[in-house]
Amino acid sequence: MKDFHYKKSWLIALALAVFLVLAACSSDEESGASGDGGEEPDKITAWAWDPNFNIAALDIAKESYDDDIDLEIIENAQDDIVSKLNTGLSSGSMKGMPNIVLIEDQRAQSFLQSYPDAFYPIDDYINPDDFASYKLAPTSFDDQQYGLPFDTGVTGLFFRTDYLEEAGYSMEDLTDITWEKYIEIGQDVKEKTGKDMISLDPNDLGIIRIMIQSAGVWYVDEEGTNVNITDNEPLRKAFENYKAMMEADFIKANSDWSQYLAAFNGGDVATVPSGNWIGASIEAEEEQSGNWGVAPIPRLDMDGAVNASNLGGSSFYVLDIPGKEQAAEFLGDTFGADEEFYQELVNEVGALGTYTPASDGEAYQKENEFFGDQSLISDFSTWVEDIPSVNYGMHTYAIEDILAAEMQNYLKGKSLDDALADAQGQAEAQLK
Amino acid sequence: MSKVMESSSSSYKGHKKSIGNWYKKNYIGWLFILIAVVGISLFYFYPMIRALLLSFQSGMGSNLEYVGLDNYIRLFSDPTFIAALTNTFIYLLIQVPVMIILALFFSVLLNDATLKFKGFFRTAIFLPCVTSLVAYAVIFKYLFGVDGLINQFLLDLSLISQPLNWLADPVLAKITIIIAITWRWTGYNMIFYLSALQNVDKSMYEAAKIDGATSFQQFFYITVPMLKPIILFTSIISTIGTLQIFDEIMNITNGGPGNATLSISMYIYNLSFEYSPDFGYAATVSYVIVILVVVLSLIQFKVAGDDK
Repeated sequence: MKDFHYKKSWLIALALAVFLVLAACSSDEESGASGDGGEEPDKITAWAWDPNFNIAALDIAKESYDDDIDLEIIENAQDDIVSKLNTGLSSGSMKGMPNIVLIEDQRAQSFLQSYPDAFYPIDDYINPDDFASYKLAPTSFDDQQYGLPFDTGVTGLFFRTDYLEEAGYSMEDLTDITWEKYIEIGQDVKEKTGKDMISLDPNDLGIIRIMIQSAGVWYVDEEGTNVNITDNEPLRKAFENYKAMMEADFIKANSDWSQYLAAFNGGDVATVPSGNWIGASIEAEEEQSGNWGVAPIPRLDMDGAVNASNLGGSSFYVLDIPGKEQAAEFLGDTFGADEEFYQELVNEVGALGTYTPASDGEAYQKENEFFGDQSLISDFSTWVEDIPSVNYGMHTYAIEDILAAEMQNYLKGKSLDDALADAQGQAEAQLK
Repeated sequence: MSKVMESSSSSYKGHKKSIGNWYKKNYIGWLFILIAVVGISLFYFYPMIRALLLSFQSGMGSNLEYVGLDNYIRLFSDPTFIAALTNTFIYLLIQVPVMIILALFFSVLLNDATLKFKGFFRTAIFLPCVTSLVAYAVIFKYLFGVDGLINQFLLDLSLISQPLNWLADPVLAKITIIIAITWRWTGYNMIFYLSALQNVDKSMYEAAKIDGATSFQQFFYITVPMLKPIILFTSIISTIGTLQIFDEIMNITNGGPGNATLSISMYIYNLSFEYSPDFGYAATVSYVIVILVVVLSLIQFKVAGDDK
């Protein structure tokens, strides 16, 4: 038994020794990585997620860049970028991190504030006033500009002109309407054509975000810190509209992205209120060419609400690692200054940036055959200017999950006051 | 490893050697297990301890600071966590027994000596286990979609008058998840029972038959008691698996509608990657799974284990 004891303690001693070695290793690593003055790397890496959109944009930027740059663009799914950044940045080692990374605007603050030393401010490389003003709040922190605003998520009401005509509605009837009017039209369309008005995923409150931003509010107050749910009149209205839609029996439910796409590509729904980026997916169904139009997004029926809003959109960030100057210069000279580049972006990718001086270019005025010769890009870029600026804060997705749960309760009969009060309580408890 | 120690300690009990001598004689043995010891310490114990330390910290991203037991206190007033815990327990309490009973049932059927095409049926039931978690989850999502195959089938049989929205209804969504995991794992458990059944002495059944025992009696008084250790083993494995359920939820319902299907693992993922990252609190929640696994396994040992 005594022997056995000795052996055990020997084992423990060994384990301890391993820990010590490990601890030594890990502290070594830290001191190694923090050496900031590392040499310039041979190439600049960039992470983005959509080969038809933001990766294509980077490719064009690389070609139009005058200086020589060895830019390696790596495609990662957006979720993977988020988790890789989180694990990488929190480990304290910047090894394997890219020089340039694309981050969705609603997540940006969470990264900027969670890892304050990880990002490199780019004020010296761009003039923030050149960009749509609503993009600046989410991309800056502590009075410093970190993000280079890229695409806009300006929303529009995409609609099937043929279906709505059949029901007796024209473009004018859809222009500058409220969501109440939209629901009314929807019921009419369903009655006359048998087509559903809209496809919704009950798990995705994107349409709620569209509604409240059109009234200039968000789930949090202007400072971006305090939860703003109970006394949020636009949010209350948005909930009521959502329920009215659900009860109006013109919803085609979907449970994921491909079903969502199938709903309009298959001609099952009459309208798609979404960000301008959905246009590419709508155009993918060539047979429907000429049958689509885009009206301004409906607004909430209240003072201060406008027929312009935003859904999605992302910006480029430079990480504070060797090569940062080169990376920032590249972004500044292309995305931050080159009007020609933006014309090419529209022509080749159909991507609409938020660089305002570019909107006078000829590519922006072009008519789009698919959308009945509407000057789509030009319309969108006028709406961009009206988008109310809101502070997304850091907790959009956390609060939205809570709201989605309460939305279910509300749809099942819980009173709106209780639902919102409960959501407020839960959000406050979770985000303290 | 403990076996090695016991045998070596017993063989050395007779010799009254000094400790130094003992090391000399044994160091080669220790060298052999050194790799395993280092490996396990490096990849198991070290991360476990770091995670435990992490669970006492809170803050966003890299701004972590020690907060004592705050994270553990926060658990009790976190409705999302409580919802995730409740959902996970619902899966556990319904799915594990259903699956175990189904697996037992299939294994006894497939063990029948008179059954033809045994190999085919065994393979067919085991096959789901070799499919990728994500792939099968995505297929289930489409099967249970509003215009999916299941709805078509039920409509054609006139069992329902309009398509059920499986994934958007809190109860139906849970049922979908339970059906999915049962489909995926029943065959896996069945294999354990099948192999255990090979070791049950046939003469016991013969003797029972001669005594006039019905098939049911044979099943409950011979098969089940003989398989008891395996049943215990599979129920512990299944319990641990269900407590950690993630892929299915992530891919079929993404936790929705609302948080009606959210599981603990999914909540950990959300806390780390979906919301503003709070790795400290996420580590706390993951330690809850550890505690639950330990407690539930102990209970299962106590209830079903031998009194050895």
